[in-house]
Amino acid sequence: MPGLALLVWVPLVAVVATILGALGALIAELPPASLIEALAAPETRFAVGLSLRASLTALGLALLLGVPTAWLIARRRFRGKALVETVLDLPMVTPPLVAGIGLMLLLGHEAPAGRALSGLGVEILFSPAGVILAQTYIATSVIVRAARAAFGAVDRGYGDSAATLGVPPFWRFLLVEIPIAGRALMAAAVLGWARALGEFGATLMVAGATRLHTETLPMAVYLNMASGRIDIAIACALVLLALAFALLLALRLLSAEKPDPLHDEDPHARIAA
Amino acid sequence: MHGLQLEAVSNAVLAPLDLSLAPGEALAILGPSGAGKSTLLKIIAGLLPHRGRVIFAGRDLTGVPPHARRIGYMSQDLHLFPHLSVAANLRLPLLFSGLSRREQTARIHRTLDLCAIAHRAGRRPATLSGGERQRAALARTLAMRPRLILLDEPFATLDGATKRGLWHELDRLRRGLGMSALIVTHDPEEAAALADRQVHLNHGQLNAAAIGTLRQARRPQPAAGSAYYLCNLHTNYAEPQNGAPNVLNDERR
Repeated sequence: MPGLALLVWVPLVAVVATILGALGALIAELPPASLIEALAAPETRFAVGLSLRASLTALGLALLLGVPTAWLIARRRFRGKALVETVLDLPMVTPPLVAGIGLMLLLGHEAPAGRALSGLGVEILFSPAGVILAQTYIATSVIVRAARAAFGAVDRGYGDSAATLGVPPFWRFLLVEIPIAGRALMAAAVLGWARALGEFGATLMVAGATRLHTETLPMAVYLNMASGRIDIAIACALVLLALAFALLLALRLLSAEKPDPLHDEDPHARIAA
Repeated sequence: MHGLQLEAVSNAVLAPLDLSLAPGEALAILGPSGAGKSTLLKIIAGLLPHRGRVIFAGRDLTGVPPHARRIGYMSQDLHLFPHLSVAANLRLPLLFSGLSRREQTARIHRTLDLCAIAHRAGRRPATLSGGERQRAALARTLAMRPRLILLDEPFATLDGATKRGLWHELDRLRRGLGMSALIVTHDPEEAAALADRQVHLNHGQLNAAAIGTLRQARRPQPAAGSAYYLCNLHTNYAEPQNGAPNVLNDERR
C-alpha cells in the first residue's frame, strides 16, 4: 500500500507544484504597481480588446459551422463518413503552425481562393480578419468533436417522438435536440472559446504578428518577450491565465449535476410559455 | 374511412404481413421480446424504412415523413422532452398544428384535464412519478387528436394497481375521442383491457390462428384505491352514441 501511495501521490504533487510554481513565478515577477501599469498600457488594452472581439466572433462562426456538422455526423449515415470524420479531426492533431501555413498558402495571392477573395476586395492575410479565420479554424474542430459527443448522448427517441407529433425536421433540431444537448453544447462552446483565445501558431502564419494591428494576447506575449518588454508580456500572460481560469470554472459548473428541481418548481406554474 | 391497412409490409425483422384495423378499433399485438412488435409500430409511424404499403384513411403513406402522417405514437420510454414543462410538452407540437394560440391553450387545458395531469402542468418530467409521466406522455399524444394511436408497451414500467387504473382510463379516453389504436404488449391481461382484438407476432410473423376477439366483459375495472378521474369524460366527453360526433371529434383539424 505505501508503494501504491507513493506511485500516485508523488506524480500528483509534482504536477500540481509545477503548475502552481509557474503561476507563482509569473505573479511574483512584477511588483503590483508595475503590473497595474502594464495592464493599463495601450498595447495590453489593444491585445485584450482584439482577443475578446476576435475570439467571440470566431466562437460564433465555429458554433454556426460546428454544431450542424456535429449533428450530421452524430445522426446520419452517409458514404465516406469515416473519411469525413477523420478529416474533421485533423486540425485537432496537426500543429497549429502547420494548419496556419496551409491556410496562408490557400489564401495567398498565388492561390485561386486567395485571388478570388482579392477580386472581391476581401483581404484576410495579415489582417484582423486573418486572426478570426485562424481562431475559427481551430475552434471549429474542437466544437465539432465535443458537440458530436453531445448529440450522440441524446436518445434518438426524443427526435422520433417529436417527428410523430408533427414537428418538422428543422424545428426538431432547434427546439428538441439542441436544448436537450444544451449543457454539453455549452461546454463545447467554452472549450472552443478557450482554444480560440489561446490560439497562436495558426494566427502567426495567417495574420502575422504586427503590433497594434493583429496583436492578440498570445501574440503580445510573444512580441514583448522578444523585444524585452517583460512587464507587458507578463501582464498579457496573466490576463490569459485569468480568462482560462474563468472558462475552466464555467466548464466545471456546466458539468456539475443540477440540483433537484423538485425544490425550486412551483407546482402551480404557468401553462407553458 | 380512417382505417389502417398494411399490405405486404416487411423489413429485415418482419416477414411480409397484411393487417387491417377498422376505424375506432383497438388491436393488441402480443408476442415475445424480439418478435418485431415495436418494429411494426415504428414502420407505421414512419420511423423505419420498409417494403410494402401502409394505407391510412385511404392515403398511401409510402414516402410520407413521420411528421406529416398525423399518427400518434407513444414509445415505451415516453421521451417526454426533459427541458420543457408538461404543458410545454403539449404546446411544442401544437405550434405546428395550425391552431391559433388561444385554441392551443384551450386544447392543452382540456387534454391535461382529460388525462388527469393538469395539476402537474408546470412541472418538468423529471419531477413526476412514473404514473404521472405516463399520463403526461399520453396527454401529449392525444393533444394532436390523431385518428390512430400506436402505443408501444405503454405501461410496462408501472406497478399493477397504477397500471390497471390507467388501462381503464386509456380505454375510455380512446373511445371518447373515437380513435383507432394499435397496442403492443406482452401482457395478455393488458391486451384484454385495452383492445377489441388481438394478434400474435412471433419471429416477425403474424400468427393468424391466434387472432381472436376479446369480450368487453373481460375488461378489468380499476383497482380499488387507484386514481380515477374520468368523471369529466362521462359528463363532457361522452362516447358517441350510434356514430354521432362527440365534442372532441369536432375539435379536430
